[in-house]
Amino acid sequence: MNGATPIRCKDVTALLAFYVCDEVNNEERAAIDAHVATCEDCKARLTEELEFENVLRSLPDASEQFDPSGILLGQCRSELAEKIDDLEHPRVDLRDASGLGWLRRWMGLHPLWSAATLVLLGLVAGMESTRWFTGAENANALDVVNVRPNGPRLTEDQLSKMAVAGVNFVPSPNNSGAKTVRVQLSAEQPVELSGSVEDTDVRSVLTYVVRNGERFDSGVRLDCLDALKTHAEDGQVREALLAAARKDQNPAVRLKALEALREATADTEVRQTLLQTLQHDSNPGVRVEAVNLLVRSIETGPAGIVMTPGVDIPGMPQSELMQTKAGSPAGDSLQSMIRALEELQRRDPSQYVRMRSAAALREISVRNEQ
Amino acid sequence: MAAVTGTATLDERVLVEQAQTGNRAAFEELVRRYDRDVLRLALNLMKRTEDARDVYQEAFLKVYRNLHRFRFECSFYTWLYRIVTNVCLDHLRRRQARPEDQAPELHTKHQEEGSTDFFERQREHRATLDPERHLLGQEIKAKLAAAMERLSPRERVVFEMKHYQGLKLRAIGDALGTSEETVKNSLFRATRKLRSQLGELR
Repeated sequence: MNGATPIRCKDVTALLAFYVCDEVNNEERAAIDAHVATCEDCKARLTEELEFENVLRSLPDASEQFDPSGILLGQCRSELAEKIDDLEHPRVDLRDASGLGWLRRWMGLHPLWSAATLVLLGLVAGMESTRWFTGAENANALDVVNVRPNGPRLTEDQLSKMAVAGVNFVPSPNNSGAKTVRVQLSAEQPVELSGSVEDTDVRSVLTYVVRNGERFDSGVRLDCLDALKTHAEDGQVREALLAAARKDQNPAVRLKALEALREATADTEVRQTLLQTLQHDSNPGVRVEAVNLLVRSIETGPAGIVMTPGVDIPGMPQSELMQTKAGSPAGDSLQSMIRALEELQRRDPSQYVRMRSAAALREISVRNEQ
Repeated sequence: MAAVTGTATLDERVLVEQAQTGNRAAFEELVRRYDRDVLRLALNLMKRTEDARDVYQEAFLKVYRNLHRFRFECSFYTWLYRIVTNVCLDHLRRRQARPEDQAPELHTKHQEEGSTDFFERQREHRATLDPERHLLGQEIKAKLAAAMERLSPRERVVFEMKHYQGLKLRAIGDALGTSEETVKNSLFRATRKLRSQLGELR
């Protein structure tokens, strides 16, 4: 090399590992190039280094093996979001919050005195209870505001400042199936909502939680979806379910949102979301559920979908066999669904999703023949 | 990881500043920019999903708690990596102190036992797409895994950051809070040790 400072074998050997991973400066590179051009031993060492470097490069990346479809990354993101939720809105530990920890400790150390005190308390409570019952409504209002169905409506702004502490279900007394939902909201003043999903405030809270998944614990999100799953025909509920199916960070929540949309697959927007999920959701389980629902949507599809019997030609794509009313929105929707399934059958990284898509295409084809 | 320059740096400064004022969306955007690489480094270093998950959570929670201390004296990425590498070093040191925890098992275990979970089967399927590469990978990987366990935590972190993350020695030095020369020595020692283990395969 022109102008390269001569370099000894010993120095070349020390630099070769850095030479092959591009960590030498121009001067060193020139000196090494010049040296190996004339030194057979160092040339052989360089070849060895290059081979080793190639071996390292040919090794599979551990992240490709452990997390090929990004499920782990998704889980990590959800966990982190939940931990930060906890930091921002610490959950109240009722055992400590009641401030009675000292009492428990004292009772543990003085069992006899504790028993006597409890008996005395029981007596007083028994005698006073009739008076308390008459004033029960006022007493309740001291710590929890109960918002009844005819109470004030919650605004979006109020909702945004609240944290949902829990969602409970109370079975209907006459087993009519219309469960009462009880939602505890923690804010400056705790609020408890109680009513069926038809109640405007209850529905607002449930749909708010589902739409703004990043702010709430995934357990609460799943509970809210549970309450909403039989009301997908309602516009507000459906919109929230669609939002959760599209963008919730947790695959279990997306899956549950899709399940809740099971009875609404005739809706165009639901189909759009299913198609989008099919093509873009990172989780194979969620993609499979989208395939199932799309197949179902054909059974319950709007009148616009007409599949005229086609001739089954082996090797011919299903989309060409399937004839739909030209230009009708439903026909276009069926075509894009079949195209998406074909794409999935060919290219989805998950073998299971590919198999399920192929089966779905066969089911569509069989239905077409009937 | 690609170096962040130009407009990306400007955007990032705004994002960091917003996150420092408590803007959750800005913080999450920062996480999403880098977390894929963080998890990748953690998986390559820890070779176990559970440990990698712990590293991910611990590192980003540290970032969240300490973001207000970040003063833009270096790039956010350098600062983040300083945290991530420290968490990784801690985990590796703890693991070294517990010999029963040293052997990475997850991947080979489910292959031997035959997996029933379809997510697991996907991993196998992907790995067998190129049989030749897979075979070579399996053989060398086993040796390399054993050899890796003999490296010091620092040598291991340096080696992984150089070979899997493709970082320059200077960037690794910044992340580890040490000089380029020290990193160079660690990389040299790591390469020698690994080469002597894999030598007979060539």
